Amino acid sequence: MTGGVLDASASTMPARVDCQVCVIGSGCAGATAAWELAAAGRDVVVLEEGGDYVGEALSMRDGMHDLLYWDRGGRATDDLSISLLHGRALGGGGVINASDVVPIPDGVLRCWQRRWGLTELSPEALAPYRARALEDLSANLPPALNENNRILERGARALGWRGEVMLHNRRGCIGLGKCLVGCRVGAKRNPRAVAIPAAVEAGARFFTRARALRIEGATAPRKIVRVRTLDERGYHERGESEIRAETVIVASSALGSAELLLRSGLGNRHVGRNVSLQPQLPVTASFAHEVRSFTGIPQSYAVTEFETLEDAEHGWWGFRVEPVAGTPGITASMLPTLGHPGKELMTRYPRMAAALALVPDGGHGVLTVRRGRAFVEYRMPDEQKQRYRDAAKAAARLWLAAGAEEVMVPTARPVVVRREADLAEIDRLDFSPATTPFVSAHQQGSVRMAPSERDGATAPSGRLWGTRGIYVFDSAVFPTSASSHIMAPILTVSRWLARRLLAEGA
Amino acid sequence: MQRRRWLRGALTTVGLVGAGGVGALAALRGRAPAVAGLRFLDAQGYRTLRALAEAALPRGGAFPFGAADTDLARAFDAFLADEPRERQAELATALLLLEYGPLLFDGRAVTFSHLSEAERLRHFETWATSEDLLRRKVSVGLRKFLLVVFYDRPEVWPALGYSLPGAP
Repeated sequence: MTGGVLDASASTMPARVDCQVCVIGSGCAGATAAWELAAAGRDVVVLEEGGDYVGEALSMRDGMHDLLYWDRGGRATDDLSISLLHGRALGGGGVINASDVVPIPDGVLRCWQRRWGLTELSPEALAPYRARALEDLSANLPPALNENNRILERGARALGWRGEVMLHNRRGCIGLGKCLVGCRVGAKRNPRAVAIPAAVEAGARFFTRARALRIEGATAPRKIVRVRTLDERGYHERGESEIRAETVIVASSALGSAELLLRSGLGNRHVGRNVSLQPQLPVTASFAHEVRSFTGIPQSYAVTEFETLEDAEHGWWGFRVEPVAGTPGITASMLPTLGHPGKELMTRYPRMAAALALVPDGGHGVLTVRRGRAFVEYRMPDEQKQRYRDAAKAAARLWLAAGAEEVMVPTARPVVVRREADLAEIDRLDFSPATTPFVSAHQQGSVRMAPSERDGATAPSGRLWGTRGIYVFDSAVFPTSASSHIMAPILTVSRWLARRLLAEGA
Repeated sequence: MQRRRWLRGALTTVGLVGAGGVGALAALRGRAPAVAGLRFLDAQGYRTLRALAEAALPRGGAFPFGAADTDLARAFDAFLADEPRERQAELATALLLLEYGPLLFDGRAVTFSHLSEAERLRHFETWATSEDLLRRKVSVGLRKFLLVVFYDRPEVWPALGYSLPGAP
């Protein structure tokens, strides 16, 4: 079988394509599975709704959100409280993430074994797959921190708080700093750069701008995946096609996978439930000197003082604080001020530092599909709100300890902190819907694994309960947040699942 | 207070409709100048959005460039034209709600586009902190679009100390 990448918006996709395995989604999970299965001699077809963007096609401007993210960057929870960012491009989230590599902690795996009955997912069993994920990502320590990261590190040192430099998956980075809208110089060792070329070499066929509309044949020996081809920018459906496959692997992100299964009427009552959004809260700070957070590696240091990696119920819990940088448009959209004061605030952009409070959650989201459209509802419990207040205070203390003139929690009624005494103001934040610029970039758990149908949507093999030959391989299967950054965990688990599938004789 | 204002607005609206029907509401809004080349918005929606953009991102102040220097409403129209039908309907409704906002929520017999720039900004800013989730949602949705598109304009960047590094 000759592998390749065919753009279905530019060429005619055959009306019918037959294969052994159809993988839906070309991100960290889908590309890894396709590579593993194609390398084992399986005839693999991969469907990707997004386009292929590399090099000069990545303008590094805010406008790229339109092309690289689901719903043109506008996806959000039902009440618009949380912006839901996930990739929609060949290579998936790996194309648009901050390139942080944080493997699944042993404590999380032990929690999954004890609390969720996933006895096979032991640290020992996963160790070679974690190592392989790090190898595939060329995981390494960044050569230097940018000023935003250095400031946060300084704050942590001044307070005597624990922190660490995170691994990343860049090689040859020149510090353009626009990682969230793709890397023009191709420094990210992501699925687009590693797994997809390897899978193609092994014979996998990728179709971009090909939307999987529905999967038919829950228990049939051959499934049909109904496909709609899209136009060049992915706005409109243009044509139809179908894939016939013995095995279908759904790997379209936690939200995309659950949406497709629900649209197909597949799976049990757990599909679309238990959605972890891991919403992140921004906290900004103004300094007297230039920070220029928008240059250099945007996110490489983490304050880990307040996180635990082995909470009995959740595994990873507490919170951590990490720097972040946004392009001008995204930054402005997170700030609460309009009119002349808003313009004035944006002139502080080069002196502005920003951090995110990463707060793991308990899977309070529910995804439903109504009239063919996905809706995500999310109710944040009081306990979680309190951790956001604690995290916002911690971030403010860090910025103040590093010499910030002013710290802001950019809620609709912003909280401004200039000294320790102002921190009590943070207690008044109630995080009412659509008042806080929460961002979710690590969705998980919408089709969670469990040893029995009663407790989850897929078996520990990733097979969707109630079906034969339909699997889910991405972060949707995680029973809790796998890690603060999920690229490495997804690579780890998807390869483990793919090997298991091969061992079962698929 | 909010509830009382809403009630007063609702009563005024009912009164207007009772007095002259939907025609009275249309008359209050007045006829918007025709705009050529729109793909989805009508002239009324375009005017509402333009009025919002120019209040939220005025000319002058910290830097000269403002929404009036770049047609954000047309960019929004181009964006909407390629959106799914349900999203188009939602955003068109949001603009209609905003246009009649002063009447519905403040009980004033005037529509958004006819307010002064300062009044438009003040009115829209109350939506972000309103007790009413619908208004907060409209605020979040519209401001995100306007700000992302406006600050993506290279004309703004020098004032922000921002530049886009060239590819090697």
